[in-house]
Amino acid sequence: MSFPNPATSVKLVLLGEAAVGKSSLVLRFVSNDFQENKEPTIGAAFLTQKCTIGERTIKYEIWDTAGQERFASLAPMYYRNAQAAIVVYDITKPASFIKARHWVKELHEQASKDITIALVGNKYDLVEDDTEEESLRKVSVEEGKGLAEEEGLLFFETSAKTSYNVNDVFIGIGSKIPEAASAGPNQIHQTNNDGRIDLTSDPNNRPRAAGDCAC
Amino acid sequence: MMSRTERRKSMAERRPSVSYTPSVIPHLAGLEKPQEPSLKIDQCDVLIMGTGLVESILAASLSWQGVQVLHIDNKNYYGDSSSTLTIDQLKKWCMEVNSGRLQHFQDAQIYIPGGKSTNKFNSKDYGIDLSPKVMFCKSDLLALLIKSRVYKYLEFQSLSNFHVFENDDFSQKITTQTSKEDIFTDKSLSLITKRNLMKFLKFILTDNKDPVKKKILVDNGKVKVQDFLVKQFNLELPQINELVYSIGLCINEGTETREAMAKIKRFLVSFDVYGSFPVMVSKYGGPGEISQGFCRSAAVAGTTYKLNTSLVDYDPRSKIAKFNDGSHVKINEKLVISPTQVPKFLQSNYNEVTENLKQFSITRLITVVRRDCKEWMAEQDSSAIVVFPPHSLPTNNEQSVQVIIQNGNTGVCPEGQSIWFSHTSEQDLNRAKQDLESAYEKMEASLLREANADLEGAFDDQDFVLSAQGTPVFVNSFKLGESLQNFVPKEKLEIVCKVGYVQKTYANPDLSNIFHATAEDNVVLKNVADAENDILFSNMPSAELSYDGNISEAKLIYQKITGSDEDFFDVDFEDDDDDYDNNDPHDSSNLGSSTTLKSSSSNALASDNEDVIVDSSDDDDHNPFGADEMEL
Repeated sequence: MSFPNPATSVKLVLLGEAAVGKSSLVLRFVSNDFQENKEPTIGAAFLTQKCTIGERTIKYEIWDTAGQERFASLAPMYYRNAQAAIVVYDITKPASFIKARHWVKELHEQASKDITIALVGNKYDLVEDDTEEESLRKVSVEEGKGLAEEEGLLFFETSAKTSYNVNDVFIGIGSKIPEAASAGPNQIHQTNNDGRIDLTSDPNNRPRAAGDCAC
Repeated sequence: MMSRTERRKSMAERRPSVSYTPSVIPHLAGLEKPQEPSLKIDQCDVLIMGTGLVESILAASLSWQGVQVLHIDNKNYYGDSSSTLTIDQLKKWCMEVNSGRLQHFQDAQIYIPGGKSTNKFNSKDYGIDLSPKVMFCKSDLLALLIKSRVYKYLEFQSLSNFHVFENDDFSQKITTQTSKEDIFTDKSLSLITKRNLMKFLKFILTDNKDPVKKKILVDNGKVKVQDFLVKQFNLELPQINELVYSIGLCINEGTETREAMAKIKRFLVSFDVYGSFPVMVSKYGGPGEISQGFCRSAAVAGTTYKLNTSLVDYDPRSKIAKFNDGSHVKINEKLVISPTQVPKFLQSNYNEVTENLKQFSITRLITVVRRDCKEWMAEQDSSAIVVFPPHSLPTNNEQSVQVIIQNGNTGVCPEGQSIWFSHTSEQDLNRAKQDLESAYEKMEASLLREANADLEGAFDDQDFVLSAQGTPVFVNSFKLGESLQNFVPKEKLEIVCKVGYVQKTYANPDLSNIFHATAEDNVVLKNVADAENDILFSNMPSAELSYDGNISEAKLIYQKITGSDEDFFDVDFEDDDDDYDNNDPHDSSNLGSSTTLKSSSSNALASDNEDVIVDSSDDDDHNPFGADEMEL
């Protein structure tokens, strides 16, 4: 048996209006968990989750906005070296779709040019059983698709609640991230040539074996 | 594929006719600024104004203890006086300083040579720190970064080379890239000097409780360190300069033995913690970047952030604060205000509490040059420190000039360029500027000379050539590090941008009134009487080149707000995000837990920098030099 390829680290940032389900989406992805009344923030730093796409293993480092988007106070640090972004809106809330457009624009200005962006219309569960006459849906699939096409984004409709399409978002992003970009100098957590010091290793116990691998 | 000229179908045309009701989509006017215009909270426990490093650490520490914090800044960027700015931001900042709108800064000058065609640059490629700092590998801030997990937002790079300029010569350097014993062997030292040095190093690494050491320190604590090193260890000037001004980063000849010993030790115990280097720099910017990290941590813990916001009124009786966005928030406990964010209506209160405080000037000169300056950096590094000890410059400088050099690989400027951050604590501002310019010229000359040497190097397949008379001539003597005196550079260094300014602070350059603050000498401990003591003012950044003092100040404010600093960052973050990691819903090749956070044991043990500086405590477990074997 050959050793699995080392995981490629990918920084992924979440953007979108408050309460569209950014954190729920990520929680569903990383823990297959959905909490009805969850706290509006996740974790102390960021969540990590590995995802295998074909031969590649991608390790997502998922950064939540931690509420700093609310008053347009996201720091440059948030966008820096992000290789992927998920812009989330709520398909039952048209205002959130407008804001999604804003965040896409913001990403084009702040983030690196080759960032992979997915536009995600969340809360699909709310419209799943709707009839045409009486629908909670306020943003059509076509409208979402239209924006995605216009801006060159991936597009998904998801439900963090039922987990519908959630994994597909991350697999979709992973397959679109170019090999070259993920092997670039901005790789996270890798002993590399740009001299990044690994503060996670116990300095009295170096070198740290690659053997915390459970395989 | 659609041709370029073909009109895109409008949203309405592309929209299917059935399942969509257009009227509910709000007007697109909201696209530019969809954020909520005013604060949507009606109360908080603590209001912090200014997102500088100390204030950001404070916000995070309070938040993690469950205190509801509202953190604002009157700028549209994070960092306040310790911000990392682009060139465009810096231009604007200079204008603001010179218009008198930024208290505690003055005399800002920005020089960008050439026109748009001759000096092309992209402002956003630069991250220029207003108060640049380096991090010792064993320091309280690093320990906190690890404990709080804020380090996860940051990248650190090593800095090994500390150069000291001496006898008009730049080649004396402390390079720690080889091995710890070689720190001083860059120049050939006599056996006697070596022996004296080793004796001193052993002394300094001895436990402070050791009775012999203790007595020597008590007897000599107030003696000037140069005198002490000569008298006690027979050290000579070159070594003293290296120890005191380079390794120790002391700033003048008045430095007393106690302080100098603590600072030299700070270097030595930091060596070999993460590798053979004593300090690190954070990528993309120093304090400005770390501030953002702590703000993010605070946000995760529940702090509300709103930039571009200032306080316009506060009523101490109703405790209602009014902001320029029109919102009103009740402040249950305290207001913490950074010196650059003091609102007009509190100006007289601020003047009152700072009236009798001693003010110190820090003069800075920052130059972005089109050279990567690799010749000054260790192989794996992208930064270096250059120190001009007192009286080493033609200006006969009384205070040392300290310079941090960072090239493109640290993310603060493009590849092939570097930024020279220099500063001095000279209080005579004219002299300060002359000292900094003089240091700049010396560095420029040295760099150009080395570049010239490299040019000649292209021809030297053999070290010697024959002269017309047939005698061999050594052609490559440039590299032998002789004095700069006879070197007249033919070319000038290409400059992208040069910025100079003066910063005022009440923090003593030796940090004494931060580590041992009293109500007489530190503004944090002053009471603003007619505001019912609800208002606290913080300090401007100090002249200190390291991050020492920042945590002490954050703790000081924390203590004043909560009554005690015992639970300062008393939070256990262990494993709360690794939980998810072993649980892979895709059942892909799960390699197990990814990031194991083990705080470095030596950093966990790192005592407060306060202790490191005053050197009142010790930790024997750390003998980076193997001091026992060093006795020659």
